[in-house]
Amino acid sequence: MTDRARNHAVGAALGLGYLLLLLFTAPDLAMSRDESFYAHAAERYTAWVGRAFDDPAAAFDKRAIDGAWGYNWEHPPLMKLAFGASWRLHESLGVFSRESLAFRFPGMLTAGLLLWLIYVWGAAVMPRRGALFAALAFATMPRVFYHSHLACFDVPIAFFVLLTAYAYWRSLDDRRWAPLAGLAFGLALATKHNSWLLPGIFAIHFLWVRRDEARTGVSNRASAAWLPWMLTAGPILLFVSWPWLWHDTWRRLYQYAAFHFRHVHYTYEYLGVSYFEPPLPVSVPFVMTLFTVSLTVIALAVFGLYSRRAELALPWRTQPGDRTGKRTDVLWLGCMAAPLVAIALPTSPIFGGTKHWITAYPFVALFAGWGLVEVLGDVGVRRHWSRYALAGLFVLPGAMQVAHSHPFGLSHYTPAAGGVPGAADLGMNRQFWGFTTGSLAEWIAKRLPNGGSVWPCDTTHGAWVMMQRDGVMPSNIRAATSMADADLILVHHEPHFREVDYQAWVSVGTVRPVFVLRYDGVPIISVYERD
Amino acid sequence: MAEAGQKRGVPAWAWMLVAGLALFEVAAQPLIVATVPSEDDWEAASAFVRTRYRPTDRIVAAPRWIDPIVRHHLGDLLSLRMAAPVDAAGIERVWELSIRGAVSRAEPPDINAIFDGVRVRMWRLSPPAVVYDFVENVAKAEVELLRAEGFGRCPFRKVAPHRGGLGRGPMPPDARFVCDGKRPWLWVGPTVLADLDLEPRRCVWQHPAGPEPFLVTFADVPLGDRLVVHGGIDYTAERQRRYSPVTVRVFIDDELAGELVHHDGDGWKSTAIDTSTLGGGPAVVRFETTTDDPKARLFCWAASTQSGSHDD
Repeated sequence: MTDRARNHAVGAALGLGYLLLLLFTAPDLAMSRDESFYAHAAERYTAWVGRAFDDPAAAFDKRAIDGAWGYNWEHPPLMKLAFGASWRLHESLGVFSRESLAFRFPGMLTAGLLLWLIYVWGAAVMPRRGALFAALAFATMPRVFYHSHLACFDVPIAFFVLLTAYAYWRSLDDRRWAPLAGLAFGLALATKHNSWLLPGIFAIHFLWVRRDEARTGVSNRASAAWLPWMLTAGPILLFVSWPWLWHDTWRRLYQYAAFHFRHVHYTYEYLGVSYFEPPLPVSVPFVMTLFTVSLTVIALAVFGLYSRRAELALPWRTQPGDRTGKRTDVLWLGCMAAPLVAIALPTSPIFGGTKHWITAYPFVALFAGWGLVEVLGDVGVRRHWSRYALAGLFVLPGAMQVAHSHPFGLSHYTPAAGGVPGAADLGMNRQFWGFTTGSLAEWIAKRLPNGGSVWPCDTTHGAWVMMQRDGVMPSNIRAATSMADADLILVHHEPHFREVDYQAWVSVGTVRPVFVLRYDGVPIISVYERD
Repeated sequence: MAEAGQKRGVPAWAWMLVAGLALFEVAAQPLIVATVPSEDDWEAASAFVRTRYRPTDRIVAAPRWIDPIVRHHLGDLLSLRMAAPVDAAGIERVWELSIRGAVSRAEPPDINAIFDGVRVRMWRLSPPAVVYDFVENVAKAEVELLRAEGFGRCPFRKVAPHRGGLGRGPMPPDARFVCDGKRPWLWVGPTVLADLDLEPRRCVWQHPAGPEPFLVTFADVPLGDRLVVHGGIDYTAERQRRYSPVTVRVFIDDELAGELVHHDGDGWKSTAIDTSTLGGGPAVVRFETTTDDPKARLFCWAASTQSGSHDD
């Protein structure tokens, strides 16, 4: 087996193992708010695709397109089509144990592919132990592990960003990769708007490389073939995959961009303050990373970055005769820093959740891989077993944190924050999306043995129905639209939801919740009961 | 420039630092979990408070985020007034259940007991006495809204319940004064407001109608030494800090006795009217709310006549 084949085999094994772990643990997680919207969109979009085959003339009519694709136009269609295709396959063949898993499978698949690609790219530039650590470091980030389960776009876009960056990097010295870079960029564009950052990052990197080459006198210059491919294949793929753009194209493109540039501000608790309008403190993505990624991985990433400082030297310091290569570390640094900086900008809409800069984390992990290589290189004891033991020790915190975070991934904080209770003391965001209701399903079913109604707070109607479709929630327990009609009222704890807590007090006439779902002693959901 | 990677990148002690961090994380995770109070701790602490509790006691949680757990164990003892106090009047003792060394008061307690992870402390206070609580008596009031033909009375009746939900403001009670079918927010009744600090306040919803006064009148009110008025606006509306101020005027026997002007950003605001020279009542007390522009003026007030000493 060649080195390259071995790398792919190891990467594929890592990805497959992660995929199996995700499939095994997914049933613990109810659908989140956004997933419920995307699942609905997936059903509509794929129904239209079916109609397009059966009756193309009718399907391609503007009203038919808008009827199907006008829902959730805020995000491009690629992953929603994949979710829908997976679900329709399940409907035909009964592939999965539950419907939510069918919707989620494509997202999980991209998580597995991410590990594979992290390993393969890492192994191409560093010793394999570093690449292996990078893949494992990424897999054992608790927030990454949570998001990897979902029928959402955050982990898929992390994969497509990494794939595009990899294809671009390969295309610099092998033009055959240029079409693949264009294709990958198209897939990224068709997945989520995080992809908009890529051309800027690549342009800076490419100019850096070219400047190096000019100063060193290298005759075999890096290829620019990626540029026309990305500029053509990317937008074409986006347009072709997204029927919503087929009419009123320019107006809708503007509408899509404007939605994200003028995005609604979420209320987000950070260090004891509930922010509801910009500016969010610049420190948010950095402190949240510090509090949600293993300190060990962060330290290794810092050491990795430090150890690669020579590769990051500015191009005007390059001297004739230097061997500068493809400046891989500059590219990785750009891909790591750009999403963090974009969120940190005072003018950015308030998002807050780590998922919004999750595309940075594969590159954090890759630098951590370099850190491991460098740090183990300095271990005084030269025996192999001691290095393996240390490498194992460095993976252990993340693995423990992932195990402990499930199924409360968005509520989990590392020991750097003092854990979950420490984060509550500090006033950090407790949760969002309402998916923690899934952790109450069994309790609710027991509390309402003859059926009834539940006001589900932050859980959407679609997410509730999905619990019923999955057989997790009895079908005779409905989601009430009004507190007054509900036997049970749920309150998801976030500071700005206290208003809802107080509404429940007045509605049921008591301040006593009959149950408080807790995670490490921190309230996640209160349940009130009507007499 | 040398080729990248040739130079040893990190100091020799780096592996020890990283190993130390890893060991810290590995050890800290179970330690953090081990410090979480058990259900037995909560039960024991709650039982201790329950056997000593009086209806004029308040129960608080420290840190604030354990409040749902405290209410789960002791919430059945708490009236809405005690769970959502507007001031310290009538609160003779405060019980604090705390974890992780958090404190809600600095002074030494009269009782201090520890139940493993949960600490119980109690303080005796010397609060003013509540002579008459307008919030608790609002159902007996008379509510009038200025219409084209003059002031018209608003009936007190049971109406369709409110759905509840984020951004929907305080929950109206099932029975309330309803003034205008076209302006459903013009109702009067007791509710719980989330004030600018997101603290619960038991209060009377009286969303101003506009520049014209919206009246709530109480008859036969016993007057103590002072009439204390508080007011606040729903968190979601007030945090915008861009809407018109709200004025509450208080009339005692048709004489303007005082007013509270609430601007966005004031939070839960208070004023006290000296009534010690009015002979103790009974009197007719009228609350009038006005604003230049009623948009997003989700206003709620609380008031009581009080006598005796001040505490806090």
